[in-house]
Amino acid sequence: MKNKATPMPFYLVSLMLLLPIALGAQEAAAFFQQNCASCHTIGGGRLTGPDLKNVTQRKDREWLIRFMVNPKGMIDSGDPYAQQILEEARGVVMPAVPGLTPETAASLLDLIEEESKLPESAFKGLQITDRPFTQREIELGRQMFTGDRGLTSGSPACISCHTMKGLGGLGGGRLGPDLTRVYERLQGRQGLGAWLTAPATPTMGPLFRRYPLQQDEVLPLIAYFEHSAQQGGQDTSVALLNFFFLALGGTAVALISFDAIWKWRFRAVRAPLAQGGRPRGET
Amino acid sequence: MNVRSQISMVFHLDKCIGCHTCSIACKNIWTDRKGAEYMWWNNVETKPGTGYPTQWEDQDKYSGGWEVKDGKLRLKSTGKGRVVFNIFHNPHMPSMDDYYEPWTYDYQDLFNAPEGPDQPTARPVSMVTGELIQIKSGPNWDDDLGGSPVYAENDPNLKGLTPDQRQQLSAIERLVFFYFPRICNHCLNPACVASCPSGALYKRGEDGIVLLDQERCRAWRSCIAACPYKKVFFNWFAGKSEKCILCYPRIETGQAPACFHSCVGRIRYLGVLLYDADRIEEVAKSPDEQLVEAQRSVILDPHDPEVAAAARQNGISEAVIESARKSPVYQFVKMWKLALPPHIEYRTMPMLFYVPPMSPVMASQDGKTVNHTSDDLFHDIDQARVPMKFLANLFGAGHEGKVRYALRKQKAVRWYRRALTVGDVDMATAERMLREADCSTEEAEAIYRLTSLCTFSERFVIPPSHREQAIEMMKDPREHQSFAGFGFLTGPGRAM
Repeated sequence: MKNKATPMPFYLVSLMLLLPIALGAQEAAAFFQQNCASCHTIGGGRLTGPDLKNVTQRKDREWLIRFMVNPKGMIDSGDPYAQQILEEARGVVMPAVPGLTPETAASLLDLIEEESKLPESAFKGLQITDRPFTQREIELGRQMFTGDRGLTSGSPACISCHTMKGLGGLGGGRLGPDLTRVYERLQGRQGLGAWLTAPATPTMGPLFRRYPLQQDEVLPLIAYFEHSAQQGGQDTSVALLNFFFLALGGTAVALISFDAIWKWRFRAVRAPLAQGGRPRGET
Repeated sequence: MNVRSQISMVFHLDKCIGCHTCSIACKNIWTDRKGAEYMWWNNVETKPGTGYPTQWEDQDKYSGGWEVKDGKLRLKSTGKGRVVFNIFHNPHMPSMDDYYEPWTYDYQDLFNAPEGPDQPTARPVSMVTGELIQIKSGPNWDDDLGGSPVYAENDPNLKGLTPDQRQQLSAIERLVFFYFPRICNHCLNPACVASCPSGALYKRGEDGIVLLDQERCRAWRSCIAACPYKKVFFNWFAGKSEKCILCYPRIETGQAPACFHSCVGRIRYLGVLLYDADRIEEVAKSPDEQLVEAQRSVILDPHDPEVAAAARQNGISEAVIESARKSPVYQFVKMWKLALPPHIEYRTMPMLFYVPPMSPVMASQDGKTVNHTSDDLFHDIDQARVPMKFLANLFGAGHEGKVRYALRKQKAVRWYRRALTVGDVDMATAERMLREADCSTEEAEAIYRLTSLCTFSERFVIPPSHREQAIEMMKDPREHQSFAGFGFLTGPGRAM
């Protein structure tokens, strides 16, 4: 053994640092807001996921923690209650939440227990009116979607990643899913509203956590998505075809202009000379 | 006056027999490597002919060399702004087809071919792809007027010739050609050096040899487009450009470059010239008709004490100045005005000069007798088979004056020697011709000696490079010896 061995206490300290520590009440609330609130409320009714009020009374803590840490695993294992949850969510599987350790899950359950006791929880979720939307609100939503009207937070408009039916031109972005029927997928105004307030996917989450949508921006967008879902259908491939032809045409224009710009470039000398040779005696 | 020294060359075209020994000597030493097979740092062309690469002299196509625009000297092919604009595509790049696709033969076929009614042949194989190929051209494809309806008749130097003159060049009994051996001209105003975006090309301070640093070359290939003589080549295997190095390892050890050393006709001369570096830009901007004289005026007289003093001040060693005084190039170019730069109109100021070739006078066949149009077999140079205009396009930027002067002097020297040795010519006539050609009898004797009787040491006056002194500037040889031992660049490893 050489003398370079690290002293034992060093390992202990690093191990302790690595050990997840149970979250305090403050951190648990923030974690819930960022990661759970887009699909769950506490006492606000079901969104994509079930209302979590009194969830600890419906099932034992151990089972809940196991489900929270690995939802897909539990569903795949054939657990009957997990299957029932899946059915209620119309087949939407709860995504694995990054950073959700058993310790964090325990803290979250503590939080849910506390909040369930309150008459009005802070996580009741966005309460959205049931009245029919006006034409003006739908139009406003469309403008925000296309970026004609900028979002106050400065975050990119929906169109840069998503497309919708009836956008015209080349359609929207293809990075995210087609949002024509997102209203149906997220089960109505409540689900959509919760999602828009705090998007939870790995792509949208980090972006909109820093630049969230304002409350008054959420409503017109819901109006637009609802209107669009009522029209039905989905973005057709015509836009994609347009894009293809535009690219083809653009390439052709670029090549022709390159040929024009460099028209004096060096071309083969010997080959044309040899081909143009004439037999002796002719002039 | 900013005096510098330049190793310069003269090729005496009247002596060249077109044997290509120089090309082979060079190829065997320098370009028999992968990626360099198609390169001929030294090549010999037949004139009229299109040369190698095909029609390299047509700068409307190749865009090599300099041009004067708005009183400024600029490269035809590139510039500070244009190099950025053309960064992904150099628009003046010749393809391998314009040189030729190098090949070897599958000699195994000669031994292994199955028995058949015909002799087996060795089929040509590309040295680039390794595939069997049809040979389309070679480095001297138009040698001795081969394929002249295609090649010789498209020589760019035929510009300005009358249709009659063109016709005569290929007519039977009138047809004529001469040889034009070419290496890098090691120019005073090299376009290749100016064009390189990486600064890989440089003109060596001590002797003006233009070299290409293989470490710094970044394969931009601007030099290939910029050199109007197409004497920088791109090694497709190494991804670096290469060019003639004037066999500097030989020069530094007092030996003539391989192509000079091996020359059978002894047409090549090599020596030092002193020149005024301050005047290069001004001279390169001269109008076409003054270019030849302007370039001569840059070359300084090494016998002039003022020049010698200025040379010493610039760190040129006494041995180099002494060597410049004996330089055969100085005699041919400056004193006798016999040697002329090739295509001076490219304004790179080449430091390789050519003595223009003599040619027989025009003749026509009438039955069984051959009639000469002039009775003066050698006198009438304007009746020579090679039209004056053709030589002027090659060696005088299209102007005949300097070429006529050089040819008349050569002719007068011949008549003078003929009067002396054969005696069938009247000496009085010979002396009149010498006077007309601006040549004294002493000068005629000197020209005769250096042309016909020159020894090795008269043809190649190579100054000592004093590498032993140069190395002392970098490191102490004694210290190196004690550290590295004897005969090693770096110290040898311990044996046990």
